Amino acid sequence: MKKHCTSRIGMATVVLLLSLSLFAQGTKEEVKAAGPTSVELWYGAAITEAGPPPADWVGFKVIKDKLNIDLKLTALPSNENDQDVKIQAAAAANNLPDLFMVRRDVLSRLVPQGLVAPVDDLYAKMPVRTADHYDAVSQNHARINGKSYGLADPGSINMNEGLLIRKDWLDNLGLAVPTTTDELLAVMRAFTFNDPDKNGKNDTWGYGAFQEINNFEAWPGRRLEPLFGAFGVDGTWSLKESEAGLNVLKGEFYDAMVFLKKIVDEGIMDPNWLSYKKDDFRAAWKQGRFGIMREQNAAFAAQANYAPFDKNFPEGNWIVIDPPKGPTGKASIGPYTANYRIYAISAKAAKEGKADKIAALLEWMASDEGYYLLGWGVEGVNYTKDADGIPVAKGLADPNLAFSAPGGQTVTQLRNMVFYNGDIELYARYPLYVTETSKKEMSALTVMREMQTKAWTAQIGSDTLPIPNADLKRFYEQGLSEFITGKRVLNPANWAKWIDEFKKLGGQEWNDKGVAFAKENNLLTR
Amino acid sequence: MKKTTGYRRVGNTSVAIKPTKADHSFNFLVDFFLAVLLVIIAVPLWSTITLSFRPNDYIGNNLQGMFLAPWNWSFAAYKALLGNQGFILAFKNSILILIGGVATSLLLTIPLAYVLSITTLPGRKFLNLLIVVPYVFNVGMIPSYLLVTHLGLIDHLAAIFLPGAISTYNCLIMRSFFEGLPNELKESARIDGATEIQVLIRVILPLSKAIIMTIGLFYGVSFWNDFFHAMLYLNDNSLQPLPILLRNILMASGMNEYVEVNAFGDAPIAAIKAASVFMSAIPMVIAYPFIQKYFTKGTLLGSVKG
Repeated sequence: MKKHCTSRIGMATVVLLLSLSLFAQGTKEEVKAAGPTSVELWYGAAITEAGPPPADWVGFKVIKDKLNIDLKLTALPSNENDQDVKIQAAAAANNLPDLFMVRRDVLSRLVPQGLVAPVDDLYAKMPVRTADHYDAVSQNHARINGKSYGLADPGSINMNEGLLIRKDWLDNLGLAVPTTTDELLAVMRAFTFNDPDKNGKNDTWGYGAFQEINNFEAWPGRRLEPLFGAFGVDGTWSLKESEAGLNVLKGEFYDAMVFLKKIVDEGIMDPNWLSYKKDDFRAAWKQGRFGIMREQNAAFAAQANYAPFDKNFPEGNWIVIDPPKGPTGKASIGPYTANYRIYAISAKAAKEGKADKIAALLEWMASDEGYYLLGWGVEGVNYTKDADGIPVAKGLADPNLAFSAPGGQTVTQLRNMVFYNGDIELYARYPLYVTETSKKEMSALTVMREMQTKAWTAQIGSDTLPIPNADLKRFYEQGLSEFITGKRVLNPANWAKWIDEFKKLGGQEWNDKGVAFAKENNLLTR
Repeated sequence: MKKTTGYRRVGNTSVAIKPTKADHSFNFLVDFFLAVLLVIIAVPLWSTITLSFRPNDYIGNNLQGMFLAPWNWSFAAYKALLGNQGFILAFKNSILILIGGVATSLLLTIPLAYVLSITTLPGRKFLNLLIVVPYVFNVGMIPSYLLVTHLGLIDHLAAIFLPGAISTYNCLIMRSFFEGLPNELKESARIDGATEIQVLIRVILPLSKAIIMTIGLFYGVSFWNDFFHAMLYLNDNSLQPLPILLRNILMASGMNEYVEVNAFGDAPIAAIKAASVFMSAIPMVIAYPFIQKYFTKGTLLGSVKG
């Protein structure tokens, strides 16, 4: 019995140990020998839910053959907080990869620990890439203690949103495009009460929005910035040298609040704006609930996004308009910052002499070969070029392998490392098309170009300013929304009292820290 | 059929007790509470299911979508998910982690719990203390990361389940269960010449199906849902399990701002998100009914001396 039992346990142990090998599919450390230089890259995937480039991706071979680099890729988690955790854990173990994408505030914590190498001398070694990707603002973006510690590639496109209005509704009511806040109010009232869609129902509102808040666009957030821009207080901060600080502390912010409250009290804004999520908001304008909104170019005009509206309202016509001018003539769609994706080189990689190899790799990515291969894949397989030389997903033997199709997206996961918002990629991303129902010719690029001509407030770096603690943030957001919804009476006395309380709770300190940070980092403008 | 609240014995016969008004009121309250509970659970579930079937050209809010007629449902999201190599690979990795994790954890937890349940074990109190201390004071992320790195487990699926293979909580439940088994059984086996390992395998384990299934379920659910360790320890994207992919899909909310199609083709991303949530829950949903009978029994028995 004893023997039988012991052998059973022995068998179980062996099975368990053997089963561990099932899970040991990872890579072993490279044996350092004369051969290709191993470069480990942690990148931000272009399409987070698509897989990584396959093991037989042609890019690995080209990079090895031409640059003698053995590239090892890891897609960072899709969420920024998760990215930070992963990078910080690796940093604590001195196990950072050779090249990695990192947010600026995490980078600023890694630099004092000596874990990241400066990159100042690399710009000259990458002339093509530096010309396309790294202008003076970019080179300054990751500058810490006088040295540049990150290669800041252009991120999402600036000023790609606009104020849109239903031109068909204006025409139905015989109204002109509003240019001032007073005219805007009049149009909102007409859109709400005069049946602009002529369906005989009282089912429309003037303005549509939802709360979209971030570091530099505090409550009420991005979708209402054109209203606050009319009072010169769009965005969380003002970065003008003469008036730098939190906008909420300025007198004009109170005026903007009074204006917003008037809109809400008159019921001329879609009342769901406080509960809408992004998808609800987008469903609402496609259902014709409101006639004025701030929207992003592609979310509005890209083929798949515009199609439901086109189907519902073939006669419907949104146009991009100038932001309304306020009492003192100020106007702005909202603040914009320069978005960058920072790639840093670990000190460990620099010590191992990999910095030059990394520069060679990045410079190759900026070459025509690297640009097209990483941006769109292999010509003839993943894309073809149209008469203007723009990559298109047409004329392919297997349409599923097109760069925009599920089968082809894995080979373009590194495209954010080569794209710099140049014309070729924008034409490829936002092609001209004819809508299915109304047969209108549309292009999200044309819309974006028009949006970029409107008045905006430059606030480069405002997204890097200090953020308030959770309690102060809650006090700020809750207080403002209570004034608008009527839970607090909005009058000068109550406002002054609330501002005093806000300052005491840490608002003044937040303001002072932000101004000091902006000064230190040369973010203030004249 | 007459309603009763129970039976009482009168001599050799049972007599039904007639429910009072208070019983009726109490039953009504209980029924009402359970109905509310059912709505709270069922509505989000139904919302997720109907969302996963919404066609690409659907416009409307969530409430309307919940009542979308079945003949208007689209299976595009499920078709896209099941045809996506990344999803299949992630599913396979999750299954490997689940099997490897549950097997390893049970193989390590059972002997430990049994040893700790032997009252005559020298230094038993000290050993218990050694196990309970890290349960109260968590070691933290960085030391764990260093340990996994130095063990060479980065980019191994075993990194997900090996460092936390023994859960103190599960071990203590199992120990309590073993302590509750009649000592006479163990004694008689020992008198017959069985070693402690034989006592465990031949006597204890056949009586412990309920607790093994219950603890196995606890382990299974935690390994199946483990996102954090996979995110931390698996750099090789081809090893990433379902929770990572699920997270990536759920984070893809801004996608329609930039591209015409998503990685799953023409299916709307909201439907893809809902379908992936639903599909990733299916294995656990299937497993629960089979294990439920052991589950209640196992946890109750384990709690007697807990």
